[in-house]
Amino acid sequence: MIEWIQRRRGLIAGIVAAILFAVWASSQYEPRVLASILLSGLTLGALYFLVTSGLSLIFGLMDVLNFAHGTLFMIGAYIGFTLYANPRLLLNTLPFVLAFVAGWLLARWLPFSSLPAGHRRPLWVVAVLVGVFAVWGFELAPLATTALSSGGRVPTEQAQAPVGIFIARTLGLAITGLIAGAAFVIGSEHARRPANRDLAWPLGLLALALIIAPLRLSAEGWILALDSNTRFLLALVAGAGGGAALGGLMEWSLIRPLYSRPIYQVLVTLGLVFVGTELVKGIWGPGGYFMELPAWFSRRGPSCPSPNLIAWLQDNCASIDVLGRPFPSYRIFIIALGIAMFIGIAVLLRYTRLGMIIRAGVQDGEMVQALGINVRRVFTLVFALGAGLAALGGVAAAPFLGISPGLGQEFQLQAFIAVVIGGMGSFTGAAMGALLVGLARAFGDQMVLTGIQLPWMSEAMTFSPSIARASTVLIMALVLLLRPAGLFGKKE
Amino acid sequence: MRDRFTSAQWAGLTLIGGLIIFPFVVSLFSGQPVGEGVPKFWQGMLIQVFILAVFAMSYDILMGYTGILSFGHALFFGTGAYTIGILLKHAGWDLGSALLAVIVIAIIQSLIIGLLSLRVSGVYFAMVTLAFAQMFFLLAEATDFRQWTGAEDGLQSIPVPAWISPTTERLRFYYVTLAFAIVMYLLARQVVNSPTGRVMMAIRDNETRAKVLGYHTLTFKLIAITVSGVMAALAGAFNALWNLNANPAVLGVGTTINALLMTIIGGVGSLIGPMLGAGVIQLLGYWLNVFFGPSWPLLFGIVYILIVLFLPYGIVGTWRLRSAGWLAMWRERSRSLIRFFHHP
Repeated sequence: MIEWIQRRRGLIAGIVAAILFAVWASSQYEPRVLASILLSGLTLGALYFLVTSGLSLIFGLMDVLNFAHGTLFMIGAYIGFTLYANPRLLLNTLPFVLAFVAGWLLARWLPFSSLPAGHRRPLWVVAVLVGVFAVWGFELAPLATTALSSGGRVPTEQAQAPVGIFIARTLGLAITGLIAGAAFVIGSEHARRPANRDLAWPLGLLALALIIAPLRLSAEGWILALDSNTRFLLALVAGAGGGAALGGLMEWSLIRPLYSRPIYQVLVTLGLVFVGTELVKGIWGPGGYFMELPAWFSRRGPSCPSPNLIAWLQDNCASIDVLGRPFPSYRIFIIALGIAMFIGIAVLLRYTRLGMIIRAGVQDGEMVQALGINVRRVFTLVFALGAGLAALGGVAAAPFLGISPGLGQEFQLQAFIAVVIGGMGSFTGAAMGALLVGLARAFGDQMVLTGIQLPWMSEAMTFSPSIARASTVLIMALVLLLRPAGLFGKKE
Repeated sequence: MRDRFTSAQWAGLTLIGGLIIFPFVVSLFSGQPVGEGVPKFWQGMLIQVFILAVFAMSYDILMGYTGILSFGHALFFGTGAYTIGILLKHAGWDLGSALLAVIVIAIIQSLIIGLLSLRVSGVYFAMVTLAFAQMFFLLAEATDFRQWTGAEDGLQSIPVPAWISPTTERLRFYYVTLAFAIVMYLLARQVVNSPTGRVMMAIRDNETRAKVLGYHTLTFKLIAITVSGVMAALAGAFNALWNLNANPAVLGVGTTINALLMTIIGGVGSLIGPMLGAGVIQLLGYWLNVFFGPSWPLLFGIVYILIVLFLPYGIVGTWRLRSAGWLAMWRERSRSLIRFFHHP
C-alpha cells in the first residue's frame, strides 16, 4: 500500500491539487461561469493538442524538435483560408507544383542513372535556369492581394494570365522537374527502374496539372459557388493536406541529410520559422485576415442561442446555451475535432501496423531498422502526419482567432510549454499537457476580466492579458522543479 | 625567450589598429569631417557591429564551448537593456552604478534561469529557455508596468550622459564600444583558456566523461551561463545606450535568432568567429536591404539554411579546416610560377 502510494506520488499530488483547485474555483465562480471557462479551456486545449501531438510524436520517434511546427500551423491556416475565401492563388499555383513533381518522378523511368556523375552539377544549373525561365514574370502578389476580400468574389480577369502562357509555364516546370530529377538520380547505385504500371502516377499528375490549367477560371467559380459548409470542409482537408505535404518535403529535403548532426536539425527548423514567416508575409502581405464562420456556426435569429446540442443540429445557431450562458458553437466544433483527432491517433498508434512501428521506433529505433523495416519512410510519414495535424489545427483556429503571420509563434510557445509539462515523446502527456495549458489560459483570461481576489486581500488585484499569457511559464517552471521529465515522461 | 607575436596576434593587432583609424580613413575618403555625414554613419554601423559581436561571442561561450543550446539568449540581452534604461531614466542613477547593477542583476538572473533550466538537457533546455525568454517578452509588453517599461512602446529617450551621447559624441561612443568589445574578447579568451574553460569543453565533448572524472558539471555549466549572461547583458545595456531606447523586441525570439545566425555564420566554437559573423550579418543586412528592399529577411533565412546545410563550421571553422590546404596550394602554384620564369 505504502509502496503503491510512493509509486503514484505524482498522480496523487496531481489529483489532490486538481480537487483543491476545483473547490477554490467553484467557490470563486458560479457554475455557469465555471462551465464556460472550462469549455474555453477545452477549446484552447484542443487546438494546443493538435500542435503538441505532432511535436511529441516527431520528437519521440526521431529525436527532432521541430521549431517550425507553429509555422506549419500558420501556413495551414493560410492555405485553408485561401481555399475558403478566394481559391485563385491555389488554383494558379497547384498546376506548377503538380507538373514539377510529375517531371521529377518521371526522371526515374528514363535511363539517366547511367550518366557519368560529372553531369550532375551542370544538370542542376540547367534545371534552375529552365525553372527560372518558366516562372519568369509570374506575379504572385496580385493573386494574393485579391484574397483581401474575405469570402468575396473577385473579378476573374484581374491578375489572371492567359491560358496559353499558363500551360507553357506548366510544361516548363515539368521539364524543370525532369532535369532536376535526372540530376538527382545520376550515380545513385540503388536506382532501379520502377515498374511500368507505376508510371500512372507521374503521368496522372501531369494530366491533372494540364486539366486544371484551362479550367482554373471555372474551377474558381465552382468552388466559390459551393455553400460555405462544403467550402469549410474542403479548407480543412486542403490545409491539412498542404501542411502534410510541406512537412513530408521538409523532412525529406532538410531534416534527413542531418540525422548525423542533431543540433543542426534544430537550427534548420529555426531557420524555417524565419523563411516561412517571411514567405507568408511576401505572398499574403504582413496584415491579418478574418475568416468568416461557415453557415453551420453562424446563424443568428430569434430562436438563438440553441437550447442544446441536439437543437443546434437543426437550427445551426452561432451559440449554444450552456447553463443559461451562450457559448459559441464553433468552439464546440473545435473541441469535437480535438477529441476526434485524439481518438484517431490513439487508434492509429494502438491498432495499426504503422502505429506498431511508431511505438517500437520510439522505444528503440535501431532495433526496428535491424528488423528490416524501412524506418526512413516511417520518419517521413510521421513528420507529414504531425505537420498535417498542426496545419489542420491552423485551419480550425482561423475563424476563431483570425489569421496573421504571427499566429504560429504564440501556439508554438504554448505547445512547447504543454509538451514540457506533459513529458516529451509521450502521446498521453502531450494531450494532458495541452489540456492543462488550455485550462490555465482560460482561467487566466477570466481572471483578467474579473481580477483575482485571495482571502487576505481587501480588493481584487487586476492584471493585463500579457501576464495571463506569461503565467503558463510559471506552471512549467513548477513542473520542472518537481518532475524534470514532465508529468508523463519517463525518467532518464 | 623573445617576445614574438604569432601571425594570428599580428592579424588581431592589425584589425584593432585598422578599426582605431577607421573613422579618419572614411573621413579622408569622403572629404567630410569625422563628426558628421558619411563618417558618422559608418561609425554608427560599426558601433552596432561591436555590440552585436559581444552578444554573439557570449552566445558562443554557451553553444560552442560548453555545448549548451539556448534559445533564450535574448533574455539576458533584453534584461540588460531594460535594467540600464529603467535605472537611468526612472531611478536617476549615474552610468557607472547602473552598469554595475546590470552585472549584478545578470548574475542573479542567469543563476536562477540556469538552476531551473539545467534540470533538463539538450533540446529540452532550448525549449525551456525559449519559454523563459518569452515570459520576459510578454512581461515587457504587459500594460501593468507601463510606467516603468513603457509596455509595447518600449522605454523611450533614455537619458544618456552628455559626454558619451551617441548622437553628439559619436566618435567617443565609437571608441568606448570598441574598447568594450576588445575587453570582453580578452576576458572571454581568459575564461575559455583557463582550467574552467577546459572543463566546459570537456562537458561539450562528453558530459558523462567529465562527470566520471569527478567534475561537478552543473557548477561549470552554471559558470558558463553566468559568464555568458553577464556579457550578453552588458551588450544589451550598450545597445540601449546606443539606441537611446529599449523596446520589447530586444527580448524577442528574433534577437536570439540573430545571435544564432552570427555564431553559425562566423563559426561555432571560436571567439573571433561570432564577432566576424556579427560584422558580416550587419553589413550584409545593410546591403541586402539596399538592394532587395523589404524582402531581404527571406534571402537571409535561405542563406542561413544553406550555411547550416553546406557550411556547418562557418567562416572561421571552414578557414581552419581548409586554410592549410589552400595555403599549400597557393605556395605550390607560386613555386611553379617561379620555376616557370627561371627555366623557360
